[in-house]
Amino acid sequence: MKERLAIIDGVRTPFSKAGGALAGFSADDLGAVVARELMARTAFPVASLDELIAGNVAQPIEAANVARVIALKAGLPDSLIASSVHRNCASGMEAITTAANRIFSDEADHILCVGTESMSNIPLIYGKQMTALFGRMMKAKSVWQRLGVWAGFRPSFLTPIIGIQVGLTDPVCGLNMGQTAEILSREFSVTRQDQDEFALLSHQRAAAAEQRLAEELVPLPLAPKYEGVMSKDDGPRANQDMAALGKLKPYFDKVAGTVTVGNACPITDGAAALLVMRESKAKTLGLKPLGFLRDYAYAALDGRRMGLGPVYASAKLFAKSGLALNDFDLIEVNEAFAAQVIACERAFASAEFAKANLKRDTALGVIDRAKLNVNGGAIALGHPVGATGARLVLTILKELRRRGANRGLATLCIGGGQGAALALEVA
Amino acid sequence: MIAFTTTVTDGIARVVFDLPGEKVNKFSATVMAELGQVLDDLHARTDLKAVIFTSGKPGIFIAGAEIKEIQSIANRVDAQAKAEAGQRTFQKIADLKIPSIAVIDGACLGGGLEFALACTYRIVADEDKTKLGLPEVTLGIIPGWGGTQRLPRLIGIQAGLEMILSGSPVNARKALKLGLVDACAARSFLDREVHAFVARILTTDGAAAVRAKRSHGGMMRWALEGNPAGRIALFRAARKGVMAKTRGLMPAPLAALEVVRDTCRMSIERGLEEEAHRFSELAFTPQCKHLVDCFFASEALRKEGGETKKPVQSTAVLGAGVMGGGIAWAFANKGLPVRLKDLNWDAITKGLHTANDYNRQLIKRRKMTPGQGNLLLHRISGSLDYRGFQGVDLVVEAVIEDLNIKRKVLAEAEHHLRDDAILVSNTSSLSIADMAVALKHPERFAGMHFFNPVNRMPLVEVVAGPQTSPETVAQVAELVRRIGKTAIVVKDCAGFLVNRILLPYLNEAARCLEDGAGIEQIDRTIYDFGMPMGPFTLSDEVGLDVGYKVAKILADSYGDRMAVADTLRVACEELHLLGTKGGKGFFLHGKDKNAKPEANLDLLAALRARHPVTRTVDADEIRDRCLLIMVNEAARCLEEKIVDKPGSLDLAMVMGTGFPPQRGGLLHYANQLGSRTVADRLKALSDRCGPRFTPCALIDDLARDNRPFPT
Repeated sequence: MKERLAIIDGVRTPFSKAGGALAGFSADDLGAVVARELMARTAFPVASLDELIAGNVAQPIEAANVARVIALKAGLPDSLIASSVHRNCASGMEAITTAANRIFSDEADHILCVGTESMSNIPLIYGKQMTALFGRMMKAKSVWQRLGVWAGFRPSFLTPIIGIQVGLTDPVCGLNMGQTAEILSREFSVTRQDQDEFALLSHQRAAAAEQRLAEELVPLPLAPKYEGVMSKDDGPRANQDMAALGKLKPYFDKVAGTVTVGNACPITDGAAALLVMRESKAKTLGLKPLGFLRDYAYAALDGRRMGLGPVYASAKLFAKSGLALNDFDLIEVNEAFAAQVIACERAFASAEFAKANLKRDTALGVIDRAKLNVNGGAIALGHPVGATGARLVLTILKELRRRGANRGLATLCIGGGQGAALALEVA
Repeated sequence: MIAFTTTVTDGIARVVFDLPGEKVNKFSATVMAELGQVLDDLHARTDLKAVIFTSGKPGIFIAGAEIKEIQSIANRVDAQAKAEAGQRTFQKIADLKIPSIAVIDGACLGGGLEFALACTYRIVADEDKTKLGLPEVTLGIIPGWGGTQRLPRLIGIQAGLEMILSGSPVNARKALKLGLVDACAARSFLDREVHAFVARILTTDGAAAVRAKRSHGGMMRWALEGNPAGRIALFRAARKGVMAKTRGLMPAPLAALEVVRDTCRMSIERGLEEEAHRFSELAFTPQCKHLVDCFFASEALRKEGGETKKPVQSTAVLGAGVMGGGIAWAFANKGLPVRLKDLNWDAITKGLHTANDYNRQLIKRRKMTPGQGNLLLHRISGSLDYRGFQGVDLVVEAVIEDLNIKRKVLAEAEHHLRDDAILVSNTSSLSIADMAVALKHPERFAGMHFFNPVNRMPLVEVVAGPQTSPETVAQVAELVRRIGKTAIVVKDCAGFLVNRILLPYLNEAARCLEDGAGIEQIDRTIYDFGMPMGPFTLSDEVGLDVGYKVAKILADSYGDRMAVADTLRVACEELHLLGTKGGKGFFLHGKDKNAKPEANLDLLAALRARHPVTRTVDADEIRDRCLLIMVNEAARCLEEKIVDKPGSLDLAMVMGTGFPPQRGGLLHYANQLGSRTVADRLKALSDRCGPRFTPCALIDDLARDNRPFPT
């Protein structure tokens, strides 16, 4: 990149397991709350914003171009342009990197980036047969024609398509995300024990980090009744233990699997917002940025092994930026599945893997667990797919500042077979 | 004066009503006479095919009759003549040999709608400002220029009654649905539509088709209106509705109902006679005069506080209690962003709960869509600190009623505000000057006193402290108007205007109780007088703790005449009663909100132990004590010039306390008694009950020659 992208500040909602406390908020509602809050906190003049870019995966049908709906619900000016971006699980990062592209091609100066997801509100839909029946109904003119259409009805037509299940399935290779994790578990011999231990660590770290994570949150009075308020993530369990994790049955491969709901991330609701501009611009305006995006890379791979995306993307980032694993003080590898993170760790450390897949002679390096996901990860906190990318950036920058460290790597795997890696700095 | 201009093109006459020197078109006697002449000319011509009536004022068709002329009606003969003159003129429209078309783009109210009803056809512009209605009953009269006759005949008895009895207008689409108008088009296409419409109705088939399209209401309408039994049921139900709403205290809606009932089977000529007759009975009654006075008083408040070039664009509220939440709602409801600050998120959530509750009330009545409710709530964002306050133009402090806490909160807030931002307090009783001592910029500080519940109470007192700048007052008053409420600027004093007058009344009700009257007896007596609820029901609704606190503050400020009644002290300090919110106050409040609450006998027993009954207190005494003590305090407010215009005092009592508008307000009521009677009764009460009734200097002065209170 020509110059660093300054991330002025950020804020997110608490993350809540789908169907829970935040079920009363649609994705645009969640995005609007963080967008409004961030503008209030930064006191940045809304009239100076050039665009709002929102990452979102499920694209709610009642909010086509969710970014524009967010902008207007957040009280931003009618004149603000807004676009929605989609790179599946990296949509929250895509919002930031798209903003960087716009800014460094001189199309914009100040952009509000949002990542948002309401997995609670992904609808069930009618199947093809029922949809076709409705179509014929619309065309039917007389009562007889209508009766004729209804005669073709079968109760099985009513079986809904579960939007979220379909969304979490790769339409090309046909595998559910959990099934891709099973593939990695076998390829890298990641045992059930390994995975459960990792999951336990995630919960322990997230539970211990409650106060620290609170610094990046805005509490949410709960729609639709406003009788309660959510002021922390509801996923982390301080009392999680191996015995409890061990009792769970494999979910995706019931016969010979290792991935359970306990060592996978839960489906989640949440949103995060970040305000970005050129580093030089921030300096002119006298702003003190939370941190900077130094460089980034996306990489793609076989969809069946999508969990290794971070390895491919990091290799590309290192090659592009000249940085090496040792240069990073903290690392966030998004925890879609424990099996997938551990597979990434092993691939990072393997020279053989590097030679075979990454066009490099040496391993990327050994990831020190003391630097990895230090405040827990998605297994405990949850993974609102459109929001997570932005959340990782926010969390790692805040933690780098707290520690007085400088550089962090935020990386995640992307359904469909991609990976994203961002090099972030605070100094 | 030339108000009507007629042009003729291709045999179509176009009469444009454009009253010179006025913003709106209205019918005065002279305008009516001119219209009569215009219509005579039209009658005399033989070259015309049709006539179009329209307005030269943007956003207004005809606003109605000149209300000043209604106010000046002195007797029944006057009133009858006025009604008949209008009826005769409008009959000339109906009698035209050629079709007449009213083209309505804007408000079409009262006499304006009666004019349009006399036309053969009506076309409306589909615009927000298009409103058609007969609001006469809200001024204590009935439509007197044919409205009670032509409206039910056109749209049916039920729909017609609904419009006449409620006085509320309908919009363009509703008017079309009701059959009140024959066509509806966007303003941009209105001329084109009128042209096509005229061409259509000039053919026999076209005219028949247009008339056939008017709603005939189907089976349901026949069942209710087409036969005697249905009509009896309909009128009974309508009467029940009016009684439930007005308790029979307002003569106008009942008279309107009777006119429609008695004339719906008559010829229109006889119906018009009956209408004029009933109109004449109402138009010079004190109720009508009082309602008209209220109307003018509220018109006079339209520019209260003056204009500002810097309207408030964003707001914050400190304290998310019922008032804070309500105020946040009121701002957000008109599109203003609100930062809602409190000490913890549970409190903020409660504030949003209040706002959400007000939304739900509107959504239930279909006055708001769920989507609009969602947007409104998005405008309210919570915060525990002052982040986001840099962009705020006006902050309302709504924390607990405690001078020291308020001073601290205000000083802290001022520190975080921009230099040109305004700070206001929603205090109900504390003096603005006392609070201002904590501030660096008392000129940008004022009182902004909302009443509870914020969503329903139409009045806001804007309190100018001794140092408050006129610009600050203007900005606050403008904001009050923008959120759809009436601003009244009052001088700084404890309790301001409304609570200062109202509290002695609540105190006195409690003293009547101590002297031997019953809880229900007192409440009933005052309710029957016309107040929306009795004093004890009101105390319970407000919350006894809140009332007690205000009572103590006023007692501190005004001394013995506002000494807190023992009842309040016992109820609050010994029995810890809270009122409705705690389930117990003067009444016991069960879960069922529709059940009539019973008097709290524990409270009564505790009181009787301290104040044994020595005499009976009758309804007349209760009424005199409770009302005259208010009159006495109101007179003091006039002496101290707490309000600029005495007329706004009465309006403030009507809007702030629900004082019956047909009585015109407190001073109007005193004038009905006569200042001498007021003084005499006060003196008698002073001898009997204590010096708090001693008439103030102004009353003494007026009573000398029995002059009226200024209103």
